[in-house]
Amino acid sequence: MTAPLLAVENLRVTFAAPDDPHAAIRAVDGVSFDLAAGQSLAIVGETGSGKTTLARALLGLHPAGAVAGSIRLDGAELVALDEQGWRPIRWRRIALAVQNAGTAFDPVQRVGDQIAEPMREHLGLADSAARVRALDLVAELGLGERHLRSYPHQLSGGEKQRLMLAMALSCAPDVLIVDEPTSGQDMLTRAKMLAFLNRVRQDTGISLLLISHDLAAVARLADRVAVLYAGKLAEVGPARDVLQRPRHPYAWGLLNAYPNMTTARDLRGVRGGLPDPAHPPTGCRFHPRCTQAVDECRRIEPPLQPVGDWLVACHLGGLQTLLRVDRLAKTFSLNGNGFRVEAVRDASLDVLEGEVVAVIGETGSGKTTLGRLVAGMLDPESGAIAFKGQALDSLSGPALKDVRKQVQLIPQDPFDTVSPRLKVAEIVREPLDVQRIGAPAERMAAVREALAAVGLPDGDSFLARRPHELSGGQLQRLVIARALVLEPKLIVADEPMSMLDASEQAKLINLLKDIQNERGMGLLLISHDVALVRKVADRIVVMRDGAIIESGPASRVVTQPQHAYTRALLSAAPAFDWFEDGDPVSGG
Amino acid sequence: MKSRFALTLVSLWAVLTLNFLLPRWLPGDPLAALLDPDSSSYVYNAEVRGALEAYYGLDRPLGEQYAAYLTGALGGDLGRSIRLNQPVSDLLREHLSWTLLLTLSALIAASLLGVIAGSEAAWRRRSAADRLLVVTGVLASNAPVFFTGMILLILFGVELRWLPLAGGRTPFARYDNALEQVRDYGAHLLLPALTLTLALVGSKFLLVRNSVIGVLGEDFMLVARAKGLSPRRLKRHHALRNAIVPFVHHLTAHAGFAITGALFIETLFNYPGMGRLIFESVVARDYPVIQGVFLVVSVLVLCANLLADWLTARLDPRTQEA
Amino acid sequence: MQITLPQTARAIRQSRAPAAIRRLAASLGAEGAIGLALLVAFAIVGISAPLLAPYDPAAFSGAPLERPSADHRLGTNDVGQDILSELIAGARISLAVALGAAGGTVLLAVLIGGAAGYAGGWIDAALMRVVDVLMALPQLPLLILITALLGAGLGQMVLVFAALFWPGTARIIRAQVLSLRRRGYVAQARGFGAGPVYILRRHILPAIGPLIVFGLVTAAARAVVFEAGLAFLGLGDPTAKSWGLMMRYALNLPGLLLSDRWLWWLLPPGLCVTVLILALNLLGIGLEHRLDPRLKRP
Repeated sequence: MTAPLLAVENLRVTFAAPDDPHAAIRAVDGVSFDLAAGQSLAIVGETGSGKTTLARALLGLHPAGAVAGSIRLDGAELVALDEQGWRPIRWRRIALAVQNAGTAFDPVQRVGDQIAEPMREHLGLADSAARVRALDLVAELGLGERHLRSYPHQLSGGEKQRLMLAMALSCAPDVLIVDEPTSGQDMLTRAKMLAFLNRVRQDTGISLLLISHDLAAVARLADRVAVLYAGKLAEVGPARDVLQRPRHPYAWGLLNAYPNMTTARDLRGVRGGLPDPAHPPTGCRFHPRCTQAVDECRRIEPPLQPVGDWLVACHLGGLQTLLRVDRLAKTFSLNGNGFRVEAVRDASLDVLEGEVVAVIGETGSGKTTLGRLVAGMLDPESGAIAFKGQALDSLSGPALKDVRKQVQLIPQDPFDTVSPRLKVAEIVREPLDVQRIGAPAERMAAVREALAAVGLPDGDSFLARRPHELSGGQLQRLVIARALVLEPKLIVADEPMSMLDASEQAKLINLLKDIQNERGMGLLLISHDVALVRKVADRIVVMRDGAIIESGPASRVVTQPQHAYTRALLSAAPAFDWFEDGDPVSGG
Repeated sequence: MKSRFALTLVSLWAVLTLNFLLPRWLPGDPLAALLDPDSSSYVYNAEVRGALEAYYGLDRPLGEQYAAYLTGALGGDLGRSIRLNQPVSDLLREHLSWTLLLTLSALIAASLLGVIAGSEAAWRRRSAADRLLVVTGVLASNAPVFFTGMILLILFGVELRWLPLAGGRTPFARYDNALEQVRDYGAHLLLPALTLTLALVGSKFLLVRNSVIGVLGEDFMLVARAKGLSPRRLKRHHALRNAIVPFVHHLTAHAGFAITGALFIETLFNYPGMGRLIFESVVARDYPVIQGVFLVVSVLVLCANLLADWLTARLDPRTQEA
Repeated sequence: MQITLPQTARAIRQSRAPAAIRRLAASLGAEGAIGLALLVAFAIVGISAPLLAPYDPAAFSGAPLERPSADHRLGTNDVGQDILSELIAGARISLAVALGAAGGTVLLAVLIGGAAGYAGGWIDAALMRVVDVLMALPQLPLLILITALLGAGLGQMVLVFAALFWPGTARIIRAQVLSLRRRGYVAQARGFGAGPVYILRRHILPAIGPLIVFGLVTAAARAVVFEAGLAFLGLGDPTAKSWGLMMRYALNLPGLLLSDRWLWWLLPPGLCVTVLILALNLLGIGLEHRLDPRLKRP
């Protein structure tokens, strides 16, 4: 295996806090990655994650003593270099295109001079030769002599951005670091910029280190993606994989927050906020915001570990698989006839932490049976169900009870699953009673909390009502409250909103999503309403006659369905809109 | 630039008019007193008194006086000195060259020193040398000009006797060649110029230092460094070139300060410039001379401001759009 | 039931004093704190001058040109007046001039600058043109001319200072008032039906308060410089023995510099002027810092 062009190992950059000279901020804390020749690596993260600090460290721009670790360029160690030692490397071997092109140029010099400057310095070109070369460089970007002779304030932001790129490429460096090349740009300029960068990569074989929070740009340009959080790497892997199905909870949250033309799913942010750089959390930096944090996460920092093809820094190996269903089968025999119905055959699916998996299909497709199997109300004939990695059939007694607590079912028909004799309070409290959790007072408090969470009143008068006194919508909410009171990790929701009108549905689905986001809950949503499902699902599983005929990321299934049946389902989904020709477009 | 030029013209007019109106409008009627036999400032010399009457023309209507005054001033007639019975313009011409010599040499020296020291101090921020220079700069810029002059005079003129105590040149000296003349003039110029330089350099140093520090923090300096340019090029071509702009701008305000500072120093060192002229005229209440000095100094200051503005415009391409 | 408010207020003020002082010192920075401390020292000397001075400065309390002794710590001047007493009394005069000029300057600046900023339009444009022209005029020559024509007199000098210094501060105040007037909350207040007086009191004055203090300090510093200079040139008020005048009288003595008399007659007033100006300028730096904490610290 050839040695990488740029090898960064355990890089740490430390600053003094501006208001407290004794507190140290580790802007970059133990980052390691490799960049091979001709490859492109994207560093992705929120503002303040340390991306720009990292970029500057690669050019030795930080004060001596602030940087520790190793940066090797073609095997030569760079960290120990002094200013003199860095100079021949800068721009000639590693160049930087900064984020804000507007302030990158000296305001009192002509732009052309500034582009020619490094060429004179590093390549020893004479003035005239440098100018000619500068002209060639900018011509490719659609700029000319006029721009070179201008002063920075006479040029537009977009022109300056292109000129800055030309300046960065002027000495034909081996590595080009581009810091937020698309920030603040309109869509068209952005597209041109990305096209140009791609062309440069292909034409010159330059290695690209792309720093960005623009995931679409990253998808376009990067071979590999590294996700940076609070100065540490959370995940490193091939771009396709990391951007489609990231493993680290933070990366997953970041992806969910990204507005994408192909998804209809609503945007969700990552709960919580970035940590104070001077006082990072102990253990895993992300644990205060992580929904699957365990005790170990609070104490010990997770190292970057290989998981399959890529690296993840998580004690749990990335997002945990809450539910794994493997080749599940269930057959019913109808009364006496010997007529057997294969309700579910050979069904396999996964639900990850914080994921919404929607199961869609016609009536009789087996979806409800599948739901019941997962919730433990039916026993499968063959196949396995595992919760958080533990196979259910291997558990018994308290262990099984514990798992049951964490998986809850919201049934389709609330009237049926709620005893008319019990009062509201008792209904919601039932799971706690069964599991014998907490003292009576605590149970009541949990009940009130659950009711409040679903938007129902939690006062005494309401608690004393009986089901027949409630509306369909209230009842449905009540059932959800009951499901939530045990604070489950996975909810199986079977047509949870069939009783509700559109407005109630919308509110409820948002509510479920909020709770789910907040707790990292997995949601197996069984529904026939494709349009509704589209708003919340991460993955869609299509069932027909007991079998899963298609499954994949929601965006793909909806825009590029593979199976004819899926296409039929989708086209039959309710849609109404009036377009130009005056006839309403509707399905169904 | 054009607006600045217009402003200068307007200010010039304001100066001329103030020069005309103030003696006539301020309480106490000083001009009339010159011609009033009962007042203490009565001018006894009939010839001089006649010249004064003719020049001021107090018995004529104000408009006529103003017109006469303006034509006279623009033509070079500024009246006659009461004390020396000479045309004011002659006196001014004699003394102006000394003042210019002093002021220009001090301005150049202070600027060079301030720029070099300020730039170096900024690059070596927070070092011991920088701290020392800053404290010195603050002290120097705060001490009144005449106080610094006093200290230097005593130190070098009296105690050490290295330099002459007073005058522009050795009285009644005759020089064998030009070099000797330059040396004599130089020796007499040194202390006053040094004093003025010290008075000016403090604020210049601090300004350049702050300016360079500000520039060093700018993004483009980071990019320039990232380009692997030599420290020399970074310092001179980029940092200083940018920092010089507010410095030249500052010269606008300071030109006036330099000239007025020179006035004080000439008094102290008995240097034959306009400062001494004004001092002696003030003692003698020689109003025509005082007015003449006011006019010339004002014109000088306004021209210096204009020059500084022009320089700023040339140095900073961002202002050229206007 | 009712607690008398004056008592309470006093108690609060007393108990808060040390903390407030500490906070003030911190917000001014090192330079500002030093400047303030020095200024306070000068003020104390100036206010209690009659008590501190060993003799009446105008009295001929000793033989002329005595050397420093137990009786006359700084010796006597050429007519036999105690130099130390003159020095202490001079503090009063310098401070009086500083205060008077500062007050007058700021008053004019606030009135004219504030009016310009608030009124806007052609009034603002016209006033600012006047300010431009006035600022372009060289101040010392003008001062010399005016004082030569007016004759000596401390009060007159203070008025002239105010008349010369106001444009600079007026510009700053006008800029602030202009920006305030456009701010959202001022428009909101107008929407509630507030009149100009309310807006002035509630929103504008608190915002320009710091600028006023800054203006006072800078005007005071310039007044001290100019007063000393004018007195030094012989244009000062002969009845008010300021430090500048002391230096003038000292220099009038032939051969002063050749003896060591300058040490106790010329140097002390010179030092006092320098230190007072330094104090005011340092305080100015500290205030500037408070006004714009974003300024990079040197």
